[in-house]
Amino acid sequence: MFMMNENDKLNILKDILLTDDREYAETIANKIKALEEVLHTRSELAGKVDPIIDSKLEEFIEEIPKTLGPTITETLKIEIKNSKDQVVEALYPIMGRMIKKYVWQEIKLLSEQVSSQVENSFSLAAWKRRLKSWITGVKEHDLILSELGDVSIEQVFVIEKNSGILLGNYAKRETIDKEMFSGMLTAIKSFVEDAFRQKAQNLELIEYELYHIHIQSFVSYYIAVVVSGQYNTPLKNKLQDTIFKFSENFLSLMLYNPEITQDDIVNELNFYFNDDHI
Amino acid sequence: MITSKKIVLLGHFGVGKTSLVRRFVEDSFSDNYKVTIGVHILKKEVTLPENQVNLIIWDIEGNEDITKTRSSYLLGSHGFIYVFDTTRKTTYENLASDLEHLKTTYNNVPVVVVGNKSDLVTRSHMKENKAYFKPVDYFSSAKTGANVDTIFEELTKKIIL
Repeated sequence: MFMMNENDKLNILKDILLTDDREYAETIANKIKALEEVLHTRSELAGKVDPIIDSKLEEFIEEIPKTLGPTITETLKIEIKNSKDQVVEALYPIMGRMIKKYVWQEIKLLSEQVSSQVENSFSLAAWKRRLKSWITGVKEHDLILSELGDVSIEQVFVIEKNSGILLGNYAKRETIDKEMFSGMLTAIKSFVEDAFRQKAQNLELIEYELYHIHIQSFVSYYIAVVVSGQYNTPLKNKLQDTIFKFSENFLSLMLYNPEITQDDIVNELNFYFNDDHI
Repeated sequence: MITSKKIVLLGHFGVGKTSLVRRFVEDSFSDNYKVTIGVHILKKEVTLPENQVNLIIWDIEGNEDITKTRSSYLLGSHGFIYVFDTTRKTTYENLASDLEHLKTTYNNVPVVVVGNKSDLVTRSHMKENKAYFKPVDYFSSAKTGANVDTIFEELTKKIIL
């Protein structure tokens, strides 16, 4: 019969009592090892942590308008207010590029339109234009440009020469105070005429971006016509003709009735200067 | 019927011409002095018992010598308001000759003479300068509003008459 010694007995007893604990300890050791791998391997760690960070970031971004928005807006306002010059300095090149692009596009468009007009050079309209150019002496390309330009008479002012008092006014739409405009225009006109010490000469034109103020002086009054769009020699001639016609009639009205009212002058202006007549 | 009349404010720099116009047109006053360059034009309607007048007010830049005021700004004027600073002698010591110049150059144009900043002077100062202040029509203060409306109404009456 097989006889067990003391050690064998002790080992059997250990096996019976400690087997579960050892397996448990081994499992824990394996888990710790796996965790250590995750912690020490960047890609493994990123796989676990990134989704949590992403979700938190998304929440944070969604909340920005509510939490940080007012503070950012206020800070920007203060910064812009305190550094206007720097802001202009920073925006200037961008604006410049935008304007340049716009001007380039407009020139391209104009060039295309001129080309299309030239291409139709054998049409009836082209022959009419040539004849008109030959009779009037106005260059053909000026006539082409005048056909392309979108001209509009915006306002007409009849102003007493020295006082700058408005005698009558035609306006397509109401803009600034017409009486103050008349005063200021008279002041500018007087200033320019004084500055060059040429009492016999008169200021004839003021250009303001898309607007031109055509000024026609008479002895006791002058007429200022605000034109938007293409202001060129043919239009100037046409405008002068209309002003002279109006003036002739206006003068005869004044001679016939020195007590002429502002309403009478306004009616006359409406007749001569509404779009159908220019 | 409303008629329009051009009036011009004359006088040295800093006598309060712009402040008087502002008080009259906008009923406001500011202690910040900004020099007028060229001309500033404003308007206000004045209602008199029998007339309604649209005053076109030319507030021109100050000049120490009235003869050097740009004449083209004064041409066609229906009335002048000559303003001086009651506290500064340099602005009124030539008052008599300045008024004479206006009379000879613009014969029929009515003038109202105004000593402004009257809120800043004492009675004794007024007595001391009595001789200079003889041609004065009104003492005014654009700051308090004293006599401001009266000046413009009085000139309008003189123009209409």
